[in-house]
Amino acid sequence: MPDAERYGGTIVKQPTGQISRLGTVKYLVQRFAFLSLIGLTFALMLIGKADTILVERARMAVSDAVTPILRVMAEPAAVISQFVTNLHELAAIREQNADLREANTLLLEWQAVAQTLESENSQLRGLLGTVNDPETRSVTARVVADYGGAFAQSVLITAGSRNGVAKGQAVTTAEGLAGRITQAGYRSSRVLLITDINSRIPVSVGEAGGRAILSGDNSSRPKLNYLGAKSAAAPGDRVVTSGDAGAFLPGLPVGRVVSVDEKNVVVEPFVSRGRLQYVEVLDFGLTGILAEIDRAD
Amino acid sequence: MQPTVWQKVDSRARRILPFGLTMIVLLFGLTPTYIPGLAQITPMYALIAVYFWSIYRPDLMGYGPGFAIGILEDLLTGAPLGVCTLTLLLTQWIVFNRQKFFHAKPFGVTWLMFVLVAFGAVFLKWIVIGLVAENGLTPFGDLFAAYLITVTVYPVIAWMFSKAQTRLLDES
Repeated sequence: MPDAERYGGTIVKQPTGQISRLGTVKYLVQRFAFLSLIGLTFALMLIGKADTILVERARMAVSDAVTPILRVMAEPAAVISQFVTNLHELAAIREQNADLREANTLLLEWQAVAQTLESENSQLRGLLGTVNDPETRSVTARVVADYGGAFAQSVLITAGSRNGVAKGQAVTTAEGLAGRITQAGYRSSRVLLITDINSRIPVSVGEAGGRAILSGDNSSRPKLNYLGAKSAAAPGDRVVTSGDAGAFLPGLPVGRVVSVDEKNVVVEPFVSRGRLQYVEVLDFGLTGILAEIDRAD
Repeated sequence: MQPTVWQKVDSRARRILPFGLTMIVLLFGLTPTYIPGLAQITPMYALIAVYFWSIYRPDLMGYGPGFAIGILEDLLTGAPLGVCTLTLLLTQWIVFNRQKFFHAKPFGVTWLMFVLVAFGAVFLKWIVIGLVAENGLTPFGDLFAAYLITVTVYPVIAWMFSKAQTRLLDES
């Protein structure tokens, strides 16, 4: 009886002799399936390493397909999160708190603007007689999926190539840089957060503006690499994008140095992963993309 | 008596129930909670689902569906391709090889076994991602927290699945 039950209920009615034979066949088929699927899995791992473009396309196709479902599923989460937030604020300080939050966001935005201007200014002063930065356009999108748990730090947003989003664009919130677009599908895109193990952002540190690379390691606090010996960092230093390698607009706020020891310089990002709800995708006026947006409009 | 068209459709629908429910919990795991710190320690829902159905309905959750779920999880979560697939297939392999052991065991025993199997799965994922990704091993702390949460939510998911099983699958 256990044998019959083991391979599905239908065999129960067969005569006893056939159970074991059918059982053996089924066992062999299962074993063959297992081994071939394991082989296939290793082949996939190799493909994943060799042909990243193909894999990216597959990922985006799947993401595009499930985005409408995720959009619906994220709705209750947003409502619950709203409800919880409201409960927290229900005390007498509720209104005051809300006002302060609003003012704070506004001020942070202004702070970001001021700091961008300041760093831009100092750069311009150094250059004298410069060309203006290209115009920046932005798209606001909602975060509908948080991918990867502890293994990867990326989120899915509801803007894709139809909104002019393209690979490489910077993704920000009012607080600062959140990450960059790694894959743009038609109606959704994947954002690699600055804390992901694959994230490398050229940054400048402190007022001296020492160049470094901010490398994520899947923890909530990325580290600074290749920091020149002369431009040592100290706790409290602001870290902003440097704009090197044409990756991002210079001066986007990234985070603050929290600890410095012999091995690591640790940065606390201004943007926290869990609070990401709406983000802005910045496009630095790369002509091809702009033309597409205009056509779409 | 020949089954009518609707009976056929009905039984087909019931047969894909384990796969469908697994996909639902997988997507549920991706839904943002908007709570800081929670995203890092999302439970491995697919692992729970595949383990559960491999024990109770191996006829409906064989290696084929397990493989398909693994690929989808890899593609959706941004994990290196093949990592989740490998983990799920090996989990199934363990369950199928110890089917007599799992047969009609009280819930506590299957849970305890899940505690062990899930640890193996997390450890395997950690090693394989470390080997495949360019930047070496990720910190184990968050992974371990995710493991603890996975083990903790197992009874809840298992309870929902067993309700679905008795309501929808056993009568067919």
